Amino acid sequence: MKLLIIGGVAAGTKAAARARREYPDATVTIVTQDDYVAYAGCGLPYFVGGEITEARELIVRTPDEFKHENRIDVLTRHQATVIDATAHTVTVRDLNNGTDIVFPYDKLIIATGALPLIPNIPGANLKRISTVRGLNDALKIRAMLDTGKIKNAVVVGGGFIGLEMAENLSRRGVQVAVIELKDAILPGFDPEIAALVAKQLREHNVAVYTGEALTEIIGNAASEATEAITTGRRLPADMVIFAAGIKPNTAVAIAAGIDADPRGMILVDEYLHTNLPDIFAVGDCASVRNRQTDADVFSPLGSTANKTGRLVVANLFEDTEKFSGVLGTTIVRLFDYHAGRTGLSTQEAKDAGYDVETVLVPTPDRAHYFPGNRMIITKLIADRATHKLLGAQVAGTGVVDKPIDTLSVGIAMGMTIEQLSGMDLAYTPPFASALNSSIVAANVMLNKLAGKVRGVSPFDLKLNDPTLQLLDVRTEPEFIISAIPGAINIPIEELHPRIGELDPTRPTVVVCKVGRRAYAGALELSRAGFTDVAILDGGMTAWPYETE
Amino acid sequence: MAEYSLNCRGMQCPGPIMQLFTQMKTAQPGDVVTIVVTDMGFRKDIDAWCRKTKNTLVSIEEKDGVITAVVRKGE
Repeated sequence: MKLLIIGGVAAGTKAAARARREYPDATVTIVTQDDYVAYAGCGLPYFVGGEITEARELIVRTPDEFKHENRIDVLTRHQATVIDATAHTVTVRDLNNGTDIVFPYDKLIIATGALPLIPNIPGANLKRISTVRGLNDALKIRAMLDTGKIKNAVVVGGGFIGLEMAENLSRRGVQVAVIELKDAILPGFDPEIAALVAKQLREHNVAVYTGEALTEIIGNAASEATEAITTGRRLPADMVIFAAGIKPNTAVAIAAGIDADPRGMILVDEYLHTNLPDIFAVGDCASVRNRQTDADVFSPLGSTANKTGRLVVANLFEDTEKFSGVLGTTIVRLFDYHAGRTGLSTQEAKDAGYDVETVLVPTPDRAHYFPGNRMIITKLIADRATHKLLGAQVAGTGVVDKPIDTLSVGIAMGMTIEQLSGMDLAYTPPFASALNSSIVAANVMLNKLAGKVRGVSPFDLKLNDPTLQLLDVRTEPEFIISAIPGAINIPIEELHPRIGELDPTRPTVVVCKVGRRAYAGALELSRAGFTDVAILDGGMTAWPYETE
Repeated sequence: MAEYSLNCRGMQCPGPIMQLFTQMKTAQPGDVVTIVVTDMGFRKDIDAWCRKTKNTLVSIEEKDGVITAVVRKGE
């Protein structure tokens, strides 16, 4: 068998390595227009920041190693230009000398990845502007930083790569501003979780401007970027990083008659076949199925690329292994803050027609008395009709990958909130609380589903409603430290004797640090005849907006 | 000038800040309170509390998940 693979980062090299193991007699060839293969693209921001000290640490395998250890031919700087599906050939241009080579194949795997989107604005072609896609980009950015001339940088795009770059540029002593076109950073996260992350970035001296578009980059006499202009402001910018999204790199595939969606994502079935015989597509260039909605989605992640790259090899001659799809599980570390998500967001769940209930529950990540414990905030999204867990997001300075992975498995298995509440999870004080954070969140959800308490999310709290009565039941020193503007402070212990200070006819939202005292306060108010009472979900701990 | 010591290890917010608040009520200006806590949220809280009151955060350090803060009562 002649197996030809176009693309040599994650999915392509994974496929090649497994094909070599499964088919010892096959000819396996990788062609890529890149200078490098098998590098850890997701590690690029950390190489820029210096946590990864040398580029070679990111390279899993070199073309030489592929050749001598795996008998896989890797041709770098070789760009596939024409796929002839009928003749089973691919024309490849050697970028070193411009000559064309025609490769016949029995099976073809397209793993061409995605290309960064470059905003079409004046100044986009100046020097000291870069995307963050390949190892070449990271080397270029590090070289620029090493000149010591980069004092201010603007990062365009508030997704994972943009924010990770913001962190790492900041670690290198650069003053960073992030520009995001949408109203919130971190697409796929609920707005209050995204706002919590933005708040953390600002506390680490990274400016975050949402709802703004970059309109122009100004340069100096040497054509080097010096200033970025957005729809809202002018920012000093000795460097501009474009991280405003990617698009599938599939022009050659589409020209060959391979089916793709309007944005260019190659459509594959669960065995990773394209519509053309003997042609498969994996990694960032191909669609994946969302496990919950069954939709073909663009989910360009290293984890998916590695899985599909490995799996496709099993299906070259007959359909044996199905790709089970994705839940959109992702995680990010920004300074000492962590945020992960899985399943549907609140908006996605509503759009899918579910009757949605949510909770936002702060807890320590391990026993509250154990030194080193850190706060995490768990958001659960559930279906009121079936009590099924639909989505989860966890953020905080504590451990978030464990709960996100647990909840992701739960969602994949169709778990209900009752089942989550009863899960037998690992416990000892250095690792967890006796009531695990996810179980506490499930129990709060059960109280809400049973109608025992009504919650309002920070995002939905209408602070400018003049009839709103915002009651803070924390102690006086806590209230002094930070409070939501306009809140009245009556500590929970004093609520009973002082209840006359409040108007029972006004809509009242009760707030405390995490929600426990607010719950008690809300019950007290309801018993006293207050008609419209809710608690602030997540309390002050999860409040992402301004305080005084 | 008196010195006080509060061991608030194992206490969750608002335990430590309440203990400090109560101690400060009985302390005289210039008195110093050393407080030891394991609630990591305390670091931000004590900083904000001192800025908003007349008290001074003399020092704060964290070692192995234990925070030791020294606060002087203001005038």
